[in-house]
Amino acid sequence: MTDVEMKDKKEEDKKTEDKKEDKKEEVKKVPLTPVAEIKANVVHIGRAVSTIEPRFTHRVLRTLTALRKRIDDAVLREAIEDVFPKESQNKVSLLSWLGPAPPSSTQAMDVDSSASTPPKGPAPTTEPIPEVDIYFRLLILYHLLKQSNNGADKDKLSKAKELAQESVQKMHTLNRRSMDPIAAKFWFAVERTYEISGDLAEARPMFLSAQRTAALRHDDDTQASLINRLLRSYLAYSLYDQADKLVSKTTFPTSAGNPQLARYHYYLGRIKAVQLNYSDAHTNLQQSIRRAPPAKVAPGFYQAVHKLFVVVELLMGDIPDRSIFRHPVLEKALLGYFEIVRAVRTGSLSQFQQTLSKHAALFQADKTHTLITRLRQNVIKTGIRRLSLSYSLISLKDICVKLHLDSEEDAEYIVGKAIRDGVIDGKLVHEKGWMECSGAGGTKRGYGPEVADVFGRRIGYCLELHNESVKAMRYPLNAHRKELADAAGAREREKELVKEIQEGDLDDEEMGGDF
Amino acid sequence: MANLKALYNDLQKSFNSNDLKKCGTLLSQLKIGLIEAGLLIPQGDPSLDDLIVARDILEIGAIWSIRTRDVPSFDRYFSQLQTFYTDYSSLLPPSKREYPIRSLNLVRLLTQNRIADFHTTLESLPLPADAIADNPYISHPVNLERWLMEGSYSKVWNAREEAPVEEYKFFVDSLMGTIRNEIASCEEAAYENLPLKDATTLLFFNNQSEALTFAKQRGWQVDLSNSTIVFAKKGEENMEIPKEKLITASLAYARELEQIV
Repeated sequence: MTDVEMKDKKEEDKKTEDKKEDKKEEVKKVPLTPVAEIKANVVHIGRAVSTIEPRFTHRVLRTLTALRKRIDDAVLREAIEDVFPKESQNKVSLLSWLGPAPPSSTQAMDVDSSASTPPKGPAPTTEPIPEVDIYFRLLILYHLLKQSNNGADKDKLSKAKELAQESVQKMHTLNRRSMDPIAAKFWFAVERTYEISGDLAEARPMFLSAQRTAALRHDDDTQASLINRLLRSYLAYSLYDQADKLVSKTTFPTSAGNPQLARYHYYLGRIKAVQLNYSDAHTNLQQSIRRAPPAKVAPGFYQAVHKLFVVVELLMGDIPDRSIFRHPVLEKALLGYFEIVRAVRTGSLSQFQQTLSKHAALFQADKTHTLITRLRQNVIKTGIRRLSLSYSLISLKDICVKLHLDSEEDAEYIVGKAIRDGVIDGKLVHEKGWMECSGAGGTKRGYGPEVADVFGRRIGYCLELHNESVKAMRYPLNAHRKELADAAGAREREKELVKEIQEGDLDDEEMGGDF
Repeated sequence: MANLKALYNDLQKSFNSNDLKKCGTLLSQLKIGLIEAGLLIPQGDPSLDDLIVARDILEIGAIWSIRTRDVPSFDRYFSQLQTFYTDYSSLLPPSKREYPIRSLNLVRLLTQNRIADFHTTLESLPLPADAIADNPYISHPVNLERWLMEGSYSKVWNAREEAPVEEYKFFVDSLMGTIRNEIASCEEAAYENLPLKDATTLLFFNNQSEALTFAKQRGWQVDLSNSTIVFAKKGEENMEIPKEKLITASLAYARELEQIV
């Protein structure tokens, strides 16, 4: 027991040191060369593993997106040479994935960098931890994907796939908990590889078994990542049934990071929207928008979510906020949707049909076409509502003309349905062939139960946000041990005191006896 | 396998001559055969010809179930066919019965009022959205659904004769039952009274006596003297304050606030 505590203490000391270092680093933040950044990251990963503090790994992974744009063959080669000892097996296998650069040029690179950068420390002699190995594999995989030019270069692509498969095997055999955050990221890269090569379905069994393993090991990061991978793969093939079943059979780890949660909510929103469960879809998409990274950082995701969001809002019978369509990131992407919104708002069927056929290709690419065709009935409903507000008495024939319906008979049924669904307040008089609207007085406004509902939902959201932020607060590891140590010390002192008193008593007695 | 072949040939013969009873017995024998050959849910690397035969058998089974009016059995055959339609779609040559069966499945979902399932299935069709309108088998149920949702019931009624597949006839009756009930509930809300004659046409009945029995089923008041249906006006909707809900909400807020402060 004492041993462990000792270690903990040491770690604590180290951590405070780390923090100091962190601060220092932040102060003198100069743009590092990619090689230096990779090496710094390797140090961070090492620290994360030795202190059992995944925070450092997460920090490393946060820089991944920026870093992967700046790496090339030479950078990777140099970093690998520097980090791994000379006779390392892993080094050889890692280097084999890079392009066959002539050995002389690597040499030259080495010389170059040693000349330009401050003198290098002695070459490492010990094998770095496996996490570092996987981290390098991740970098190489991204690099290969970049080189493959979105699948244009088949050679690189098949190489990337091979690397992905081998590394997945390796992660599986290594089975280290400290590797989980990196593994989660790795799965993302694996999925991307398969998606670019166009056989995402092939990777599904691999994801499924990995997901089971991750669930058994309570590996939240990987699990979150894999559930999203699977959902994406199902939705890419329009397998909504399977996706829905996966969602109902798994629990998405609550501790997952915001990017994963945003994705998960987006997929959920998609599934729910297809199943006509619009209000749930709306909530999910809203969550997704809130969790998503800022619009400028990830414009693609932001646009995709908003497209679906607009459609779902329309299907719910609401009209989306106009400000959405003025947002600099969204303005262009949502143009087609804006026209649809206009058509729905005016309740004009012909305009709706025109817009639909005009932008059909766009909607199909976004996979919102079938959802938008469902809007037809909403257009009709809006049209009827407008008529009911402006006329107190209108013949079915006029309704038919104004809404471009095919026959009076249809109009009668449609109006009847609208009345039953509570869209308008009125009645039909069949003998005379007209619709009587009870006017504005009939519409119920004010603070009805639905207002309380909306209010309640908002309060619920705020409270949840508060509770989650409380839960998300971080406390230094083992901080309570100090108090425990203090308590132990106090108890010790107390014991001594008691002993002294007792001895003192004895003394007194003895003394008393003597006298 | 030789036994299977013979049975399969028998099945095709009796299916073409529409011998439902014999089909049934042959199908159950064939299914056992398929399981033994590992083809019902294909495992390993079965040959293409075997897969096509297995698909054929299941397709015949699905259509046979409709003809014998056994919807649960159709459901089972359809889920078994899913494997062939989705997972092996790239290997097998397309079957000419595939879309009729898919379309029957869609109509089945409509008549059972499983609209959510209907849309999920529609979404997972391996067709681009604009090809749906061109596919006579699929566009029929899609249009039916659209009309049902809009309320263009007369179009649904008129479309019942234009069914692209024979087997639709089985679903027509239950579909008409569904829309009649829909129309009836609309009428209850939209009219104060309605002449019996008009109600008969609105509900697609052939004569007034049918309409009368339907009215009795729905519990409508029929004024026989001037033959009108009077819909009982629901009393002014009493706006009740959902006390219990409000109280629980307030209590929950109080509890949460207590935790925060």
